[in-house]
Amino acid sequence: MRILADMMRAIQSEGEEGAGPTKILYAANLSHDRLTQYLEELLDKALITELAPDTNNRIYFLSEKGREFLREFTRIERFSEAFGIEI
Amino acid sequence: MQAEVGIIRLDLLFELISGIIALVVTYYASKAYQMTGQKRLSDLSTGFLVLSAGMFGRVVGTWYFLMREPSDFIFAIVTIAYGFSRIMAYILFAVSTRRSLSHKENMSENYSGINLLLLATFLIDPSLEVVAILVLVVVVLQSLLNYATTRSKFALYVLIGFFLLLLSHILMAQVGQNPGFYLISQAAQLLGFMSLLVMLIQAGQEV
Repeated sequence: MRILADMMRAIQSEGEEGAGPTKILYAANLSHDRLTQYLEELLDKALITELAPDTNNRIYFLSEKGREFLREFTRIERFSEAFGIEI
Repeated sequence: MQAEVGIIRLDLLFELISGIIALVVTYYASKAYQMTGQKRLSDLSTGFLVLSAGMFGRVVGTWYFLMREPSDFIFAIVTIAYGFSRIMAYILFAVSTRRSLSHKENMSENYSGINLLLLATFLIDPSLEVVAILVLVVVVLQSLLNYATTRSKFALYVLIGFFLLLLSHILMAQVGQNPGFYLISQAAQLLGFMSLLVMLIQAGQEV
């Protein structure tokens, strides 16, 4: 869950320009295989959208559902942090 | 008598509000657990649920004792159940927030009707209060360590909340010597839960 949120934050930080795989990979500190796996999971859950999926210049954007998920995750993160519980 | 009954009702109101806030924390912790699968959040949720159940049980039990003459047996059962529910909740708090790293009141027949009524509504067992204090000291120290590490205002609200809960138990343990501490203890408990409520409201605000 934390990794997915880190990836989504990396995408969000790029704003309207979207984030490429390399940017997300470094931000979430992932291997290439894991990155591919988690990106597929985020796409399956419709939390992100993909631009130019058939090329090598794929760009990812946060969907509205993803934005809402990230807001909810931030609330949960603050709550857990308040009690010293790592998530 | 009027003033005494007034105090009793105020303490029940405080307990009721505290129980409702504990239920709200239960809901948030449960929601957080469902989202993250972190078992400690489940323990925290169970702790607040047990605590709120104990509080509501105490409110109902006290009203029962106000309406009817309590038998020693039922009185003892409710008092011990209330004390144990709180201790169980505090143990769950101690477990969930851990870092990764007197004498007993004697219910003699010499008490007057009013004293019996007041004692029944207090539902205090000094031995259980001492155990609750010991467990809460651990919870407060863990919250202090968490705040010292994170310096988060949310952690500060939790620290204040647990500290006030501890203070309420310390005051409650003194009620035998000074009955005036009873309402102050209940007020300290309510303020502790208010602090948790402020944390919930602020944590839920937009990023």
